[in-house]
Amino acid sequence: MKRFKIQNSRFKIVGFLSLCCTAALLLYCSSVSAELTINTNHDHISIDFFYNGSAVSVSGLSDAGTDLIIKIAAQDGHEMLKQKGKAAGLLWMNMGTLKFEHAPNLYFIYSTKKVDDILSQEERDKYVIGYPALSKHIEIAPVSSDEERSKWFGEFIRYKEESKLYASSSEQIKTTNGNKRQKYYIKTDWPYQAPPGEYLVTVYAVKDKKIIEKAETKVFVEQVGIIKMLSGMAANNGAMYGIISIVVALGAGFGVGMVFRKGGGAH
Amino acid sequence: MYLYLPVALTSINILIPVGLGLAVGLLSGLFGVGGGFLMTPLLIMFGIPATVAAATDSSQIVAASTSGTYAHWKVGNVDFKMGFHLLIGGFIGGLFGVQAIKILKEMGNADFVIKMTYVLMLGIVGAYMFIESIQSMKKNKVEDAKPEKESGVACLLKSLPLQTHYEKSGVTHSALIPIVFGGFVGVLAAIMGVGGGFLMVPVMVYILRMPMHVVVGTSLFQILFNCIEVTFLQAYTNHTVDFTLAVLLLLGSTVGAQIGTVFGRKLKGEQLKILLAVIVLVVTVKIIFELTMTPALLLSQAGGH
Repeated sequence: MKRFKIQNSRFKIVGFLSLCCTAALLLYCSSVSAELTINTNHDHISIDFFYNGSAVSVSGLSDAGTDLIIKIAAQDGHEMLKQKGKAAGLLWMNMGTLKFEHAPNLYFIYSTKKVDDILSQEERDKYVIGYPALSKHIEIAPVSSDEERSKWFGEFIRYKEESKLYASSSEQIKTTNGNKRQKYYIKTDWPYQAPPGEYLVTVYAVKDKKIIEKAETKVFVEQVGIIKMLSGMAANNGAMYGIISIVVALGAGFGVGMVFRKGGGAH
Repeated sequence: MYLYLPVALTSINILIPVGLGLAVGLLSGLFGVGGGFLMTPLLIMFGIPATVAAATDSSQIVAASTSGTYAHWKVGNVDFKMGFHLLIGGFIGGLFGVQAIKILKEMGNADFVIKMTYVLMLGIVGAYMFIESIQSMKKNKVEDAKPEKESGVACLLKSLPLQTHYEKSGVTHSALIPIVFGGFVGVLAAIMGVGGGFLMVPVMVYILRMPMHVVVGTSLFQILFNCIEVTFLQAYTNHTVDFTLAVLLLLGSTVGAQIGTVFGRKLKGEQLKILLAVIVLVVTVKIIFELTMTPALLLSQAGGH
């Protein structure tokens, strides 16, 4: 009987301790950090015959009060661009070719506040967030001085922004505050100039000028149907593609000529 | 309505290429030029990469010049014999021109030489045609039907071997003349990266002394063959012909060429010459502006002019 009593009190102690542990764990999780989430409205963009760009919205949940930065970027690549300069000190023309290494073809940065105000320079450089950080990341050649380098980086950004492939803006992310969590949402215009490929969408949670958490997802852009067939043929079967182009052009020329003759337009 | 262009990798409102095709096709049917010197920069302006713009334009010129040649042939305005001789010259000249570009690129500053050649040629040809047309219009008013004096150059040309009669044009020349001048235009066209219609037309009018209406038909005939060759080479080696864009352009340009031919027959030869001269001069002035004004962007895609 005595033995049974001792066993019963042991069960009570273990039960009490496990209850305390669970409560402490729950308390810890809710007070320190809940998982940062990210979703896009679609992860595949199909380029069909009537494609004219798309809209990509990014949304998710984060801790209330944290600042957020969203980066949408293509993988690093290289780009050759012609540089215009003054020949004979008078006439503007192409003076050479500049090579941009480690340059993503598409680069969008959105943030809840100005990136410079919420994130330290080390963190910006580490995660390549913002144009100044991108400037350090991209290699430009040939350039003779830092001054020249910074001039051509500025021109590169202007060129990309003109093509709608680069954008940077703050205060565009909408947040809806809950008790301890906030919902965030942004809708971006996806440019038709963005070529087929894989694009990485990353959201960074920022506190005390440091990135405390990040979440990622991907958007795939691919050609489908006739567009895929035509671009594949142009790239892989140039001779046949050329002959078809010529035959269609000749046929159209003669066809329209016949129509005009029948209609009496030419006489 | 927008369509996506699979090679240019861009989207375009279909009214733009159809409208451009119509306008440039009209000029093609009127003056016997391919219109590449107008179409290529316009396409670039609407966001088409330079290499795709040039290659696709050559493909649509095949359609426009077929349509135009057909319309002119029906009214007896194509001199096939002259056209073949010019083609032979143009082909040989093109080969030399490609070599000339290689040499220029090795020497450096090729862009400068090419651009300057282009501006000078456009300027000289435009100004000469403009002045000459005005003078001959005045002459026609004062003294109608006075036979033209033969210059020393004309006498020299007459003394060359292989004299042959070009029936449709109503002229007799040595076969060497169209071959040599066709070759000269071929060299320049290859260097400048254009079809050369704006050079071939004055050569036929002023050197070969062909009537303006036959010049237009014959020029279109030889442009047709040049552009077939260029289209194939661009598609085969550079993969830069955009089929969708070419079809949109040719929808406009084939109809434009027919309308141009109809208008052309209502105008006199002198009027046609003066109109072409004005267009060439306007393009020259536009290029001079581009060369002297600070461009909006200092970087551009590699591969264009």
